Amino acid sequence: MKQVNLQLFGAFSELDASREIVVEVPGDRVADLRQVLRELLPQRWPRFRAGLLDYSVFADQQCVLRDHERLPEDGCVAILPPVSGG
Amino acid sequence: MGNDVFIGKVLDRASAAIDPAEAIAAVSDPGFGGIDVFIGKVRDLNQGRAVRGITYDLFEPLVLNEFRRLAAEVEAAFGPRVKLYVAHAKGRLAVGEVAVVVAAGSPHRDEAFRACRQLIEAVKHRCPIWKQEHYEDGDSQWSEGCALCHADPAEGDAAHGHDHAH
Repeated sequence: MKQVNLQLFGAFSELDASREIVVEVPGDRVADLRQVLRELLPQRWPRFRAGLLDYSVFADQQCVLRDHERLPEDGCVAILPPVSGG
Repeated sequence: MGNDVFIGKVLDRASAAIDPAEAIAAVSDPGFGGIDVFIGKVRDLNQGRAVRGITYDLFEPLVLNEFRRLAAEVEAAFGPRVKLYVAHAKGRLAVGEVAVVVAAGSPHRDEAFRACRQLIEAVKHRCPIWKQEHYEDGDSQWSEGCALCHADPAEGDAAHGHDHAH
C-alpha cells in the first residue's frame, strides 16, 4: 500500500474543506490511484458527480502524470478536473 | 527562455490586481514596433445566467511551470525577437475585473498578434486553472472546461470530447 496525499482542485475541492484527502493505493502507478478513486468517490461522496474522474488527470508540481507512470515518491499528487482559465 | 523575454505570474486578487500597463512595459523594446495585448475580464452573463462574480482556483506551482513551457513554445514559433507576458488572477473577482492579461511584443504586428493569440489559447486550454461562477440567484457552479488532453501531444485530440464554446 502506498499512501497518497491528494490535493483537490476545482470541483474536487468541495469534497473536503482541507482541500486534500489521504488515499491508500494498492500499487505504485497513477492508474492504481485512479482505480481507488473510482471506487471511493461514489461510496464516500454519493452526491458528487463521480464521472468527472474520467475527464480528470493527475499531476505533481512539475507536470501532468499519465496513468502508466509511477506515483511520486513523496506521495503528493494533485487531481486536475477539466480546466477553465481565462 | 530567460527572464528578459518572458514574465509569467499569478496575482491573488485579495492583495493585487493585474495591471495591463505592466504587461505593455514588460514586452516593450526599442526594436519592437508591434505590441498586442489580450485582456480577459469577468462577464456579467454566461449561458443565459446572470453572473455576479467568479472565483479562480489555480494549482499555482504547475501553472507557473506551464506558463514557462507555453511561452517557450511561442518563442520557438515566433522568436527569437519576441517578448511575452502572462498574468492570471486568483481568488474572487467581480464583474468587470481583469482575470487574465497576455501580451506579446515583436518587431512587426503580425508576429505580435499571432504570438499573443497562441499564448492566450494555450493558457485557457492547458493551464491548471478553474473558475467557479457565482450567479445572481445565489447559486455557484464550477465551469465545464477543457480536459487536459493536450499535455501529451502524442495523444492528440482523441480524448477531446466537448465543444469549444469557452
